Amino acid sequence: MTPTPPTTPTEDALRPHTYDGIREYDKRLPNWWLFTLYATIVFWVGYWSYYEWFHAGPTGPQRVELAMARIEADRLAATPTLDEASLWKMSRNAVFVEAGKATFTSTCVACHLASLRGKDENPTAIGPNLTDQKWIHGGQPTQLYDTVTKGVLAKGMPPWGPVLGPKKITEVVAYILSHHQEGEPIVLVPAEPPPPAPQ
Amino acid sequence: MSDQKITIEFNDKVVRQFLLASVIWGAVGMLVGVLIAAQLNFWQLNFNTPWLTWGRLRPLHTNAVIFALVGNMMFAGVYYSTQRLVKARLASDFLSAVHFWGWQLIIVAAAITLPLGFTRGKEYAELIWPINIAVTLIWVVFAVNFFWTLARRREPSLYVAIWFYIATIITVAMLYIVNHLSIPTSFTHSYPVFGGVQDALVQWWYGHNAVAFFLTTPILGIMYYFLPKAAERPVYSYRLSVIHFWSLVFVYIWAGPHHLLNTALPGWLQTLGMTFSLMLWAPSWGGMLNGLLTLRGAWGRLRTDPVLKFFAAAVTFYGMSTFEGPLLSIKAVNALAHYTDWIIGHVHVGTLGWNGFMAAGMTYWLLPRLWNKPLHSTALANLHFWLGTSGILLYVAAMWTSGITQGLMLNATTDNGTVLAYPNFLDTLNTIRFMMLMRVVGGGLYLSGWFLMGYNIWRTIRHASAVNGTIEVFADEPAPAAEDKITLVGTFLNPPVLFSILGVAFACAWMFGGNFTSIAGLTGLMLCVVLAGAHFEARGGKWADWYDRLLVNTAPFTILTFLAVVAGGMIQIIPTVIAHHAANVEDRRQIPYTPLELAGRDLYVREGCYLCHSQMIRTLVPDVLRYGDYSRLGESIYDHPFQWGSKRNGPDLARVGGKYPNIWHLRHFENPRSISVGSNMPNYPWLLANPLDATTLPAKLSVQRTLGVPYPNWTPEQISTRVNEQARAIAQDLRTAGAYIAPDKEVIALIAYLQTLGHSEIVAPIHAAGL
Repeated sequence: MTPTPPTTPTEDALRPHTYDGIREYDKRLPNWWLFTLYATIVFWVGYWSYYEWFHAGPTGPQRVELAMARIEADRLAATPTLDEASLWKMSRNAVFVEAGKATFTSTCVACHLASLRGKDENPTAIGPNLTDQKWIHGGQPTQLYDTVTKGVLAKGMPPWGPVLGPKKITEVVAYILSHHQEGEPIVLVPAEPPPPAPQ
Repeated sequence: MSDQKITIEFNDKVVRQFLLASVIWGAVGMLVGVLIAAQLNFWQLNFNTPWLTWGRLRPLHTNAVIFALVGNMMFAGVYYSTQRLVKARLASDFLSAVHFWGWQLIIVAAAITLPLGFTRGKEYAELIWPINIAVTLIWVVFAVNFFWTLARRREPSLYVAIWFYIATIITVAMLYIVNHLSIPTSFTHSYPVFGGVQDALVQWWYGHNAVAFFLTTPILGIMYYFLPKAAERPVYSYRLSVIHFWSLVFVYIWAGPHHLLNTALPGWLQTLGMTFSLMLWAPSWGGMLNGLLTLRGAWGRLRTDPVLKFFAAAVTFYGMSTFEGPLLSIKAVNALAHYTDWIIGHVHVGTLGWNGFMAAGMTYWLLPRLWNKPLHSTALANLHFWLGTSGILLYVAAMWTSGITQGLMLNATTDNGTVLAYPNFLDTLNTIRFMMLMRVVGGGLYLSGWFLMGYNIWRTIRHASAVNGTIEVFADEPAPAAEDKITLVGTFLNPPVLFSILGVAFACAWMFGGNFTSIAGLTGLMLCVVLAGAHFEARGGKWADWYDRLLVNTAPFTILTFLAVVAGGMIQIIPTVIAHHAANVEDRRQIPYTPLELAGRDLYVREGCYLCHSQMIRTLVPDVLRYGDYSRLGESIYDHPFQWGSKRNGPDLARVGGKYPNIWHLRHFENPRSISVGSNMPNYPWLLANPLDATTLPAKLSVQRTLGVPYPNWTPEQISTRVNEQARAIAQDLRTAGAYIAPDKEVIALIAYLQTLGHSEIVAPIHAAGL
């Protein structure tokens, strides 16, 4: 048999075989390692049983639809009752206007430009001027609120309601209104003929 | 038996060739990695050049480090150790040379085609079909050379390293062939035969197990040879080798779906992916333990020996990475980490730490032996180690911070959880810019260490003469004793194999059977475990004897390994392919693309858009708030290849169709920053200049029809008319918006494709089954 290396205690028997000079001990598997293995196997049995056998937990789609339904309810409950007067009032409030400006800068300037003047400043811009007295979808504060919330898909304005939420939209509307005066004339201009819908 | 001895000379030439190739290609692959990392901070670094753009270079980076760095390193290590472990020269010098030069040609072909935009659009499986065939053939050459050498071995018993090599060769062949099944439309283009959810499942069965059987098992084999050699210590535990080898190769295969958690992948597959990933933790750590504990008694030498330093660190990184893997596979953790830099960090612990350091340690150990000259500078090798280690730590810490930060920001909500706290994706991107920069620095440090190794190699071998190892053997070795032979029946008719097969069968009956079958299956499984345990307690010696006999029988060993790796894939893939195709999709079904949109989609694949943009809105509230209703399985059912993506450097695009006007997209391709301030997406000016090649469409549509996409049998003229009509409409719309662009440009097709994303038809009442 093989001589035991001097540094090794006698209990550590080497396997008889040598491969290109490589020897092997045959030590016990560490207990903590075995328990880790067993624990994960038990977890597999339990987790599979819970979700896939007894269907005791919700599936991914069920979970997200339930959560979205709750969010929808919360949103409906939290929708502010807005009227023209209160939005005008907000537009004179520096806190509202500053918060609205921050949202406008990160979300709206791509199309309406930082000056809010859109196509009137640069004809290749996507969005119309928001500082003049001409309005395509209505210039009353609540109409602005609706336009931002629901968007105008055909013209490339996304519905911002689900993304920004009522609070941020209110602030953005206040920011836009801060460029206007209450009582100034509102000229409704028809939209340009809509371009052919993308196929 | 005569006592006459002969000396055989090993084929170490091919080892030297593969070793040097690994170091050289590794430098190239990592250089590309540092470049694309820098491009995420400095978008200008593509210089408005198509072939220098992120989406085309990222596949080059991943393929180069996987198949060129690790591939060549693996072949060097396998060939060096196998010859010595079985006491035989490689069976064929010719096959060895074909293997080496063929593999290098494949790498060169990849390095040319990928930047040119020739791709299959599937991660780590991007190479086009002619190269796929070449890879398969060269892999067969490798297999023949290897098994032929085993057949001529003078050492009857197979050492643990050889087990891992066998598992590598057969499993990579299986994975590679199935995931590359495609139908060509031209010499440079093909569509994968699987589409949508099937393609996703097959892709990640492959992708995950490429990590397992290309980056892990061969390197574990190499560890089992080189680490005890360098440490001059016996391997810690043979029985741990046995248990962790078989559990690793069996469990690994099942875990692929953890790349698709919370997606439209059917729930049972996600559950399998998560639970098997957790069960993979202990088998993986078995390898780490055997590596680290083998070093007991040699730790003192770590101070002086760079080889042991590299090995000890590599095995530690392996342990970190294989702990992190199961952690990231927990659905809740995955909801935060998936699509973020955390995953990139996780991968690089494995590749830089485990693969790169094993390669470095092996190289420094082999150099003096292959060139018969001491290493030029141990100090430089030590410096390499510290540069590499600090590089990895910087890289990984940056990616953890970056991934968790961005994940938390993307998932954060406000106003009582009803709206996103950071609705603009760019806010989250620009928060992690510093971390992305630190990644470049970390990667750069690691690469500079690699260059030091290159210099050290050059100085070592410059005036050295190559030597081949030799060994003295008896002229005629005794054949293995007849009683040790295992027949085909004997391969299966023995307690360990029977208990294993029964156990897996019962487990499947439990998981997939109806109520009664499930109960019977679970009872059977428990009974099987108890009986196997009792039998092992009573007759464990016989199990060990049988295993000793198995180790002198290559074919039965290989058959059993194949059975172990084939089970998980078959159980996941076959039901998915049967159950989930267009005809029995529920809820929503994708509307097939128009010819122009299909052409645009091929451009999307060509530019590698899927590498930064997912098309998969997960069943998670933040995803739904940000991108819209969660993606249904049917909505990508006709997508060959699927484009669900694995990383979001930019926002998800699954429902981008119709969200913005055409002009938005045109401006955005021309210069993303004109629309999205702070974006790091490169400019794509060539899309606006290049004319669309629509001549390939008839062949492409014909293949799509073969694959089951319901296109009418249009003539080439009809296709061309459709393309022109749609392209003109888009160009007309762009003109109305103030942009003049000819309808035949590539960008028109790409816009057409983007504008249709998310369009589907309802095929059944939503959730008819009820919630």
